[in-house]
Amino acid sequence: MKIEIATITDNKLIAKNIWKMKIEAPLIVKDYKGAGQFIQILVESSWNNPLRRPMSIASVHNNEVSIIYKIFGEMTRILSKKLPGEKLDILGPLGNTFIFDDDSSVPVMVGGGVGLAPILNMHKEYLSQNNNAILIIGSRNADEHFFEHDPDNDIYLSTDDGSAGIKGTVINAMEKSIDKRKNIEIFACGPEPMLKAVKQYALDKKIPTKVSVESYMGCGIGICQGCVIERFNENQSDHSYHEKYSLVCIDGPVYKSEEVNIA
Amino acid sequence: MPKVSTSLGKVEFKNPVFVASGTYGYGNEISELIDINNLGAVVTKSITRYPREGNPPPRIVETSSGMLNSIGLANIGVEEYINKMIPEYNHMNTPIIMNIAGSSEEEYCEVMDLVESVSSNIIGYEINISCPNVKVGGMEFGVDCDLTERLTSKLRKRTERLLIMKLSPNVTDISSIARSAANGGADAVSAINTVVGMSINVQSMKSNIHYGFAGLSGPSIKPIGIASVYKIYQSVKIPIIGIGGITSSNDVLEYMMAGAFAVEIGTANYRDPGVGNNIVSDIRKFLDENNIESINEIIGSVKVGQ
Repeated sequence: MKIEIATITDNKLIAKNIWKMKIEAPLIVKDYKGAGQFIQILVESSWNNPLRRPMSIASVHNNEVSIIYKIFGEMTRILSKKLPGEKLDILGPLGNTFIFDDDSSVPVMVGGGVGLAPILNMHKEYLSQNNNAILIIGSRNADEHFFEHDPDNDIYLSTDDGSAGIKGTVINAMEKSIDKRKNIEIFACGPEPMLKAVKQYALDKKIPTKVSVESYMGCGIGICQGCVIERFNENQSDHSYHEKYSLVCIDGPVYKSEEVNIA
Repeated sequence: MPKVSTSLGKVEFKNPVFVASGTYGYGNEISELIDINNLGAVVTKSITRYPREGNPPPRIVETSSGMLNSIGLANIGVEEYINKMIPEYNHMNTPIIMNIAGSSEEEYCEVMDLVESVSSNIIGYEINISCPNVKVGGMEFGVDCDLTERLTSKLRKRTERLLIMKLSPNVTDISSIARSAANGGADAVSAINTVVGMSINVQSMKSNIHYGFAGLSGPSIKPIGIASVYKIYQSVKIPIIGIGGITSSNDVLEYMMAGAFAVEIGTANYRDPGVGNNIVSDIRKFLDENNIESINEIIGSVKVGQ
């Protein structure tokens, strides 16, 4: 974990309203532990917006980390205006990583909205060492996708309106893609309604599932106690000082889905 | 080299830049990231008699030049604090001020008695009588002169260490509460705790904080803090620690000119845990450039109406 004045190397629109930024950040890369981790970005130096913004790491390559973000409010709009060469104050890498219950399982990686950043990261890292991973990406329509629906390679898209891939939600895509497969584990990140649905699906089918949750964050390093999620596993309170609530920034953002209350 | 040391009662600090309760954990966590030994002091998060899980999420939200928080005094409780944290302080050079919160006189006293009964290098206590976020946060003390004086004097009898009462801005006249703390035997007061605030998500029509009300901090409350310190300085003899929206050495100087002997940095630590170190060196630079020999010369030096 370091605070690094990093350098933006690339920042471009990759789908409707969705941007990808590459940042040269050797200190952060050096401490990086794996997909699931995030960084805290200080988007602007003025104090109008005092807090850093948490962003999942979408890839790590050589000395660079990348993030994928959707223009959502003022801060992400400012981020999208930044040019290669500009400096960016970032804190990281933070949080935990996606870990298998059983290393021999086939991973089903499910991403929705901008929640797909850590999922794409995991997918890439996993396939660099293994075969057989299912990737499912959900969005509202084709404009928001920057992948091709490619069932032969186990890449499935879903869209609410059917304009790309499978019509419906990621659950519909999961039903189609993993129907007969055995020994799978699910890894998911996305908006809360999606995570809730994935959690329920996994409970019904008894599939071990990890979710990466989003939370409003203050510091990112376990100090402000602002980012809590309700957690039912009372045996793991190493960091959070207390039992009922877990600090997403240091205990998470990845949890066993049955362990947390997804609001 | 200009002198930056400052005194609160009988205790001298190497510089007037402290970090505020709730923004630096129990004191040692940040040292992984930042050298904290240049700070004047670290004030711990509030410790209560028993562990507290805190309030349900959402607990924080950013506002214009500030943030609202409603953490609800989540903490490990005094017994675990004594067992786990106090021994850690032996490895630290920065003075630790322990912050205590409670819901009754007995609770404050019990916490202090437990800590006083063990050996520690805690340099003093800051008593939170001003948390707006929980019923048990001591706010009933912080808005009442008699209760403030009685609690202060009970705690005074229990410790020789530095005793600081942390005051709420959510009162009609903060200087009268400060006077009560002084009458009760406090060595100093710190001001201000957060200002009660609220924010609403227009789309969902929900409050952005679970319990609605929360404590506002950050640069947006700095003028309220400065005015509070100035008011207290006019009417009370004991030293004041200024708190509220400090992000730079300039902010520290403003607080000190208004009458603060020291300051605490709060919200700014979330964005940059090292901001205190930069501020200390910037203060030195300011004093040097302006040929001021000691920082004490600027305390209360503001000219109003001239």
